[in-house]
Amino acid sequence: MNGTDVDLSAVNGSTGSDAGIEHGARLIAFTEAVMGNDETALKRERAALRTLLTDEQFVDVVATIGAFNVVDRVADSTGIPLDDMMKMMGADLGRGLNLRRFRSSANTRED
Amino acid sequence: MLVPDYSAAGIAVRQDLKDCHALLLHHVTAPGTWWTGAERRAIAEESRLATTCSLCRQRKDALSLNAVQGKHDSTGELPGDVVDVIHRIRTDPQRLSRDWFERVVPEILSDAHYVELVGVVTMMAGMDNFARAFGVAPFTLPAAKPGEPSRHRPASAKPGTAWVPMIDVTDADGPEADMYPQAPFVPNIMRAMSLVPDQVRALRRSSDAHYLPVQQIPDPTARRTIDRMQMELVAARVSALNECFY
Repeated sequence: MNGTDVDLSAVNGSTGSDAGIEHGARLIAFTEAVMGNDETALKRERAALRTLLTDEQFVDVVATIGAFNVVDRVADSTGIPLDDMMKMMGADLGRGLNLRRFRSSANTRED
Repeated sequence: MLVPDYSAAGIAVRQDLKDCHALLLHHVTAPGTWWTGAERRAIAEESRLATTCSLCRQRKDALSLNAVQGKHDSTGELPGDVVDVIHRIRTDPQRLSRDWFERVVPEILSDAHYVELVGVVTMMAGMDNFARAFGVAPFTLPAAKPGEPSRHRPASAKPGTAWVPMIDVTDADGPEADMYPQAPFVPNIMRAMSLVPDQVRALRRSSDAHYLPVQQIPDPTARRTIDRMQMELVAARVSALNECFY
């Protein structure tokens, strides 16, 4: 996006590394804790992330988690295909992340 | 309008988010296009209840979508088959398929009732995950508002590549003229619920406040107090955990 090298594997699960993104490891761990069922882990990861971010930054992380829990469900329950532009821009990314393993990939024709 | 209580987190929430949450809480309990305020509130409550439903939990662990049968933990306010639709969208959206959708529409719900239901269920998922991440209780749902649904079906909604009819950007005129952002690119996610235009308007408000305005998305320098790479890392991890290809 801006010339920064990012470790794509971080998107598919915690690797413990920052993935080339500031506080990446803690962001991933917090996101996983929010989406999981372990309340102790959630409290721990929230506290850990808050030591690294300002209050405003923390709110923006939380808001992003909220946003994509909407978007994902809208996409999967309406069967919308990936837009052609996004397919083109993200082709390598999609392959790198093995996104075709997701059932909802059936809504987007493979070229 | 009812404003959520964020005080337990001990952090200030920016005003546009507060306004958005108040608006969405009003939106999911007010008369909609096809459902009454009371029905929409019941859908919102079911969406929330789905997260602790024992049938949903068993199904999530099962290998196939229909391997486990039973009754959902439910408020009892809505018919059982509608409850099932709500719970599946909320807890197992990654396994929804066109086959499943074609068993729901039109037998259980009209396409428009379905789209509006999707809107309410998903908005609740967004707000509930915000509250959970933030460290506060789920936002209190206000009482249902009286009034009749508008029953407006846009003439320009057409079948296409999605499971539901949608309005092309070039066909959004008349009452739908304001629906899409004025941007060179309007993604399918914005068009997904256009059979019920008020759901698109709600999604735009939600997306603008929680993520970025649609016009800014293609700009790699657009960001919030966290940088764009951090935003996209979090977004991508959420979507990977939801197993969402889009």
